[in-house]
Amino acid sequence: MGTGLPRRSVHVGRVVQGVAIALALFWSLAPLYWMLATSFKTELEAASLAPTLWPHEVTVANYVGLWSGSLPFLDFFANTLFTCLATAIVAVVIATPAAYALSRARFRLRGTIGYAMLLFRMLPLVVLLAPLYLLLLHARLLDTHAGLVVGFVTFGLPFAVWMLKGFIDAVPIEIEEAARVDGYTRWEIVRKVVVPLILPGLLTTATFVFMEAWNNLIYPLTFVTTLEKQTLPAALVLTFTGQFKTDWGGMMAAATLTTLPLMIAFFAVQRSMVRGLTTGAVAGA
Amino acid sequence: MTQAPGAQATRSVARGTDDVPWLDTMVLPAASVLAIVVGYPVVYTLLLSTQDYNLLGTTPQRFVGDDNYRKLLLDPTFWLSLRNTAIYTFGSVAIAALLGLALALLTENIGGRHGRAARALLLTPWAVPFVVVAFLFRYMYLQNGGAINALLLAIGIIDAPISWLNVSSLALPAVMVTNVWTMTPFFFLLLAAALAGIPNEVIESARVDRARGASLIVHIKLPFLRNALLVSSLLMIIANFNDFAKIWAMTQGGPGYSTTTLVVYVYRLAFENFSIGYASAIGVVWLLLLLAFAVAYLRALRMT
Repeated sequence: MGTGLPRRSVHVGRVVQGVAIALALFWSLAPLYWMLATSFKTELEAASLAPTLWPHEVTVANYVGLWSGSLPFLDFFANTLFTCLATAIVAVVIATPAAYALSRARFRLRGTIGYAMLLFRMLPLVVLLAPLYLLLLHARLLDTHAGLVVGFVTFGLPFAVWMLKGFIDAVPIEIEEAARVDGYTRWEIVRKVVVPLILPGLLTTATFVFMEAWNNLIYPLTFVTTLEKQTLPAALVLTFTGQFKTDWGGMMAAATLTTLPLMIAFFAVQRSMVRGLTTGAVAGA
Repeated sequence: MTQAPGAQATRSVARGTDDVPWLDTMVLPAASVLAIVVGYPVVYTLLLSTQDYNLLGTTPQRFVGDDNYRKLLLDPTFWLSLRNTAIYTFGSVAIAALLGLALALLTENIGGRHGRAARALLLTPWAVPFVVVAFLFRYMYLQNGGAINALLLAIGIIDAPISWLNVSSLALPAVMVTNVWTMTPFFFLLLAAALAGIPNEVIESARVDRARGASLIVHIKLPFLRNALLVSSLLMIIANFNDFAKIWAMTQGGPGYSTTTLVVYVYRLAFENFSIGYASAIGVVWLLLLLAFAVAYLRALRMT
């Protein structure tokens, strides 16, 4: 036997591997191709009983329809972008000092707070739904974007603390000691030394929070009652029964546009994502 | 950075003598925000669960003790949604973890530009918003003109088109397939990273011992992946317990109650029947279940 396998069996192995990867790629990409292809089909072709593999009559009418149609899709898009960006920024800004303290400082409630962050992360959002609704109602934040951001922060903030702690743990403490000798306060150390060092981690964390908020359906559906103020995911659900009932082409065009920002954000931080997810995973323990 | 109001004062009080302080000023901003938006609602849920409270105010709000909890024990829909949640969560996580593992092992030794491209493409489903995934699959599951029926008919797996999402016995598996599609890349990403992290010497010495193929994977690689598998499945189990978007946008819990999970049931109770008290009681029970699960899981993780 020695070091290598017989040539033919290596060859067969290669073929099997190639076929398996081709199948995996088909499984992953075919639905996305279908979404894209359908978005360029005419309404008639998209609803055809014999589905066509590619648009036989290519049209951009579905995309144009999103702008000129009866529904304010640009508003939905802007609402989503604004609330999700605001959530990401708020969560990361508030989380950074907390993550730093949990990583570096000594205080008695450290373990408790670390665990609490982990547990908050696991909370079923729907459990918070009714009391949050009442809280926002009394604070007159129901049906506002600020209220929606408050909702998103309930899951964004614990997650950000948890993930950032992982990134800060990886920063060698000696670097901070030099700054301390130079007379920096702790807040200055965080701002001027730690933040620049973990900038990729901050961006990754912010992107994650952004993506989770973008994915969230239950909060906008519950806390926002005016359709014009709605986010894209909720708007898709709410309007599907109306405008898109049979217009799958229009639906898929809207779906494609909803996907684009998330796709861009995802691939921008894909590399540092793994580290963030794994290092933070046992935070609090 | 945000400076907590009164931060200095708290600090000097907390520090006392040369003792370790109870709190650190730097956790205060995050801790106070979370106390308001998470802590308070959790406590409030506990209170609401002991009350008869209708959001529309048709009946006066009143204390009912453990009535809601008694009602829950006898509520068949509660038990059904608990069962659906378990099947949906553990079923899709197990399948997605296996598929992710298979993909990670499959692409492990492909280097260069092709490898990078293949890996990036395999990750794309994860970057698709849940609601979009839901509608996309809803379209593909259509009985008349749906891509999935067309494909299965063409290959000869089925003889007649099936209305996947409208048959009670098929709806939950169909939603789970959708769920597996979005989740597999997550496992693939984390497990591929863990695989790459196995020290070369370990693999080399196993090779010298003539371990290869299946035995190399089972005896050498899998033990190294244990932690990554535990962590990633914990994260996904929690995410799936809470999954609302996919199910709601695909079936709204139907047909009948066949895809109603706890999230969907609680949402319906609270915002369609407006019975906040009863919905809160279910929320509390669910919270306890999740806590017990999380603690057990962390114990298992700690032991490695």
